[in-house]
Amino acid sequence: MSLGCHACESLLELEFPMALQNDITLELFRYHPETDAEPRFQAYEVPYRADWVVLDAINWIKDHIDGTVSYRWSCRMGVCGSCGMMVNGEPRLACSAFLREYYPETIRVEPLANFSVERDLVVDMDSFMQKLRSVSPYIIRDDVNDTDQGEYKQSPKQLAQYKQYSMCINCMLCYSACPVAGNEPDFLGPAALALAHRYNKDSRDRGSSHRMGKMMEHEAVWGCTFVGECSKVCPKNVDPAGAIQQAKAAAAQEYFKGFVMPKGAGR
Amino acid sequence: MTGPYRPKPKWAWFVQRPGYIRFMIRELTAVFIGAYLIFLLVLLSKLGRGEASFTALLATLHNSFWELLHVAALIAAVWHTITWFNATPQALPVFIGENRAPNVLVAIGMGYGPWIMVSAVILWGVLR
Amino acid sequence: MNQSNHPARGPSSEALWWALFSVGGVMAALFVPAIIFVTGFLLPTSDPDTATGHYVRIHGVVSWWPVRIVLVGVLVFSFFHCAHRVRHTLMDLGLRDQEAALKWLCYGAALAGSVATVVMIWRI
Repeated sequence: MSLGCHACESLLELEFPMALQNDITLELFRYHPETDAEPRFQAYEVPYRADWVVLDAINWIKDHIDGTVSYRWSCRMGVCGSCGMMVNGEPRLACSAFLREYYPETIRVEPLANFSVERDLVVDMDSFMQKLRSVSPYIIRDDVNDTDQGEYKQSPKQLAQYKQYSMCINCMLCYSACPVAGNEPDFLGPAALALAHRYNKDSRDRGSSHRMGKMMEHEAVWGCTFVGECSKVCPKNVDPAGAIQQAKAAAAQEYFKGFVMPKGAGR
Repeated sequence: MTGPYRPKPKWAWFVQRPGYIRFMIRELTAVFIGAYLIFLLVLLSKLGRGEASFTALLATLHNSFWELLHVAALIAAVWHTITWFNATPQALPVFIGENRAPNVLVAIGMGYGPWIMVSAVILWGVLR
Repeated sequence: MNQSNHPARGPSSEALWWALFSVGGVMAALFVPAIIFVTGFLLPTSDPDTATGHYVRIHGVVSWWPVRIVLVGVLVFSFFHCAHRVRHTLMDLGLRDQEAALKWLCYGAALAGSVATVVMIWRI
């Protein structure tokens, strides 16, 4: 419906948002363990706005229709990694998936694949947190400078070696895309391995051997079969698949060095 | 109270995304290549047994059935080559100073270039 | 979902199989297409004289020691490449519990193929 006057239309939209709106349907995965034996889907009609993302739609549902929907979100701009969900079967950040990509089709929203579901769209992150912790994702060195000794210098060239892998926001979309993460509990997974590699390649770090010890275990890094879907879904272009292949090569070197120099391998 | 919901893993996970299907096709090239290698062993065995044995094999191979098998093996082998060299720049990044060398250049320099040279040497060795 | 299948800790032999797989992948990628072309489209012939010519040529080429070494390398590593891929694909297709048996089967077959390769080429 057009009034032929932009000022009037904007005013109407502010005062009576429903008057000019088309709708779009969202089907949300619902599961409340205290009452539900099985999950179900619930459909909601949401106003369609071309500049809205799926997160806006879910927030609108929570504010106007159903306050019982549970989900994680924070920055709404693709940097915190909280709002990972399956949108029409694809792992997406809800804050980066625009309604206009799907309109007028129904949008099906489910919790991230390959994780157990606590409630509605909230998954149990413990397995990921434990895997992340196990690779010691921080600078490890014995000789830590006092503050008055100054900073650790790092050239742009040294930074370039690991910068891409430092962009990970722990959103876990890669775990949802990875078939091994779904099938093999001992596989550390794309993000944890990419972050291990990030620290191994950081010139300020002295902890490679320590991390390698964990990564060289049976399925930890070797479970990866380079399917490559993790890198395709990563919203920050971390390329975890590439990081993992590089990590395998480094781990293989450590393994063979272990035969040649049993005590001296690694820095 | 039921506790967390654990979705049941699907056996046919590999057909659920186009990326998974492409992955499976890539992995299956190993079956064709492996089968061809066994054939190659037979050929080398006949080569070792002498002219009569080898020429008899060449005659047996000279029909459309074996040609078709070779076409299938060749398609699989070439697909392995292409997917392998396209993946190489991800696994072996090359830095020029601070910058990554473009993937295309790495794939050509570390993959397709050597492939063409090796193939040329093999064909020259057989055809000269 | 949180049960570990692999309680043993420490560096895994997986590094060895993966290294063989990687070298084999490069060998197969570089050499196998051209070799298939030769055996599939250049060599087969029903004419006895042409066949004899082919025998003399191929026998001559393969008798040269550098060629023998390369052929052994290509075949041995490619066998392990294929074995590793087949083993992982079977595991991805649901045979994860049979991992130990699969490793014996696949790498055992690759080893058998490697031994056969050395024997066959030695006999030329």
